[in-house]
Amino acid sequence: MSNVIKFSFKHIIPLSRCSYVRTKSTCLLNIKGYSSKAATTDSDVFDNFTDWETLSKTKKISKAMRAYLERAKEHDEFMKKQQFEFSIGKRHLANMMGEDPETFTQKDVDRAIEYLFPSGIYDPAARPLMKPPEEVFPARKAAEFDEAGRPHHFLFYTGKPNFFKLLYDAAENIQFLYKFEDKVIRKKETPYPNQNLDLSNTVWFTKDQLEQHLVEKLTDLEYENFKLVMERLISLPYSYQFKDFIEKFRKTLTSQKFALEIPKPNFDEDGRAYVTTYECLRKKARGDVTIRSPGTGKIIINGKDITYFEDTQSREQVIFPLIFTGMQNKVDVECNIEGGGPSGQSGAIRWGIAWGLRSFVDKNMLEAMQVAGLLTRDHRRRERKKPGQPGARKKPTWKRR
Amino acid sequence: MRNLTNQLLLFKKYIHELNSFRAVIQSRCYSRPTSFPDYFQNPIFRKEDQLKLIENNELSKLASVPIKPPAVYETSSVYHDPLVNKVINHVMEEGKKKLARSLVEKAFENIKRIQIERYHLATTPEQKSKIVLNPKEILHTAIENCKPLLQLTPIKRGGITYQVPGPITEKRSLFLAIKWLLEAANEKERTVHFPEQFAWELLDAANNTGKVVKRKQDLHRQCEANRAYAHYRWQ
Repeated sequence: MSNVIKFSFKHIIPLSRCSYVRTKSTCLLNIKGYSSKAATTDSDVFDNFTDWETLSKTKKISKAMRAYLERAKEHDEFMKKQQFEFSIGKRHLANMMGEDPETFTQKDVDRAIEYLFPSGIYDPAARPLMKPPEEVFPARKAAEFDEAGRPHHFLFYTGKPNFFKLLYDAAENIQFLYKFEDKVIRKKETPYPNQNLDLSNTVWFTKDQLEQHLVEKLTDLEYENFKLVMERLISLPYSYQFKDFIEKFRKTLTSQKFALEIPKPNFDEDGRAYVTTYECLRKKARGDVTIRSPGTGKIIINGKDITYFEDTQSREQVIFPLIFTGMQNKVDVECNIEGGGPSGQSGAIRWGIAWGLRSFVDKNMLEAMQVAGLLTRDHRRRERKKPGQPGARKKPTWKRR
Repeated sequence: MRNLTNQLLLFKKYIHELNSFRAVIQSRCYSRPTSFPDYFQNPIFRKEDQLKLIENNELSKLASVPIKPPAVYETSSVYHDPLVNKVINHVMEEGKKKLARSLVEKAFENIKRIQIERYHLATTPEQKSKIVLNPKEILHTAIENCKPLLQLTPIKRGGITYQVPGPITEKRSLFLAIKWLLEAANEKERTVHFPEQFAWELLDAANNTGKVVKRKQDLHRQCEANRAYAHYRWQ
């Protein structure tokens, strides 16, 4: 990962004299040298402290503060330069692609980079990219200490004030909920049944997202601790009281698109409605599926009937969506499929039929199909073999010597 | 002349299509993950389970959550049975599922033949009504009859290993029942085929007799005999 190459815009345009390749490792070095930490988010901390040094007229700027100011100035200049270079680079890129530089968005930039530098590198993070400098260089914290060099945050000396503040808050909330529960039990009240936390379509921040949110680097163990504490918090019966606090650290999952963009069926010369689903993929198999309605339940796979598959399991898979929706005698299915084995091919056809049947079933059945997982594309592929071991996960047999 | 212009038009169209096609090719087929993230829920595809969901009005709530696709061996067909699937997987060796499935189905066929023969040999309607003809039902009762209720765990105290009786989990007891049935079925002469022997074992177990039920009772008896050691589980 350390050898990840970021192409600056200059690298893309060979005309400019000073074309160079910046590596991530040097960037990281810069960042390490620049080690100012967490800005306190709480403004009330500012009001609370009484600074005896400023009171005693010697209005001296501490060494730490001076060093920080220098670094901040340096950084600002650096970022300004990067911004300038990026905006010029974007204009050049737009001109190269023959598009209007004024309306050239980040999406267009990504497309252009993928076109100009086609890359088959395994890790997406290692492919060439051109992003605004704010995304490439991680955000940094403002000064965490005053001019006398005294920290604002009460957890400054933990090294990771924002993270530990988060854990501290979570633990306080848990304690509060324990007490609250005891109180309710003592008063013999019944809990309100309709107030509960619905977290079904959100997930916890990943480690990277949390790091970005807190502007602090975390270790795996710290991330695990974060998850443990938050899981404990949401497992409590009255956790809905801290809904805002919990949802700050959860990301909503993308909404399901199964009900959107259902294609209107076309009509062939016999007056039958038909829908063709292209790109039915599973493992290495790919093909297309056409569904015709009304029909008699005829299935044609590569010119043969269902006996194209020799084993029962694959045949069951092909008729699974038809049986599930009860359409096995109401539609005709025709598919062309190639690549892969019987399992992959039948899986691809299963998805294609389910996807095509969306045009012929009602809304309740759509929901049922979604819950049955028929509308989910199975994107799993064979895992690659790793060097130094006999398989993808298998390790060589342990030997003492 | 018209022909020529037509051809030109076609050519232009072709070029245009080629350009749009190139844009598609640009997005390469990068390597995909080999498993689903943990927030994907397990699918509910069997008709009876779905009916329960509709009764509880949870269907539309679940539909907004990402859900895994059912595995290749799962369908909503009435012939699909998770327990049969489990047995097939236990019979399977070296990933030859087709063979394992054919063996289990052959055993079911044998059971059906034996039971139908008995049915026709029976004289009175009461006797006839007692005979179960469905092989899957027989498999279910057989496994239910073979499940042990207790297990012995070796615990070392003062240099001596005691066989200490204790409760058994549902999963382990199912595993032991299937394992014992298959071990009994494999203890046969070379001339007898596996499906025949397995069919006999299943019928015996469903009748609460036979090698496997005896093995279960032996285990229970031993647990009873070792009752005095039970306190070693927590001391």
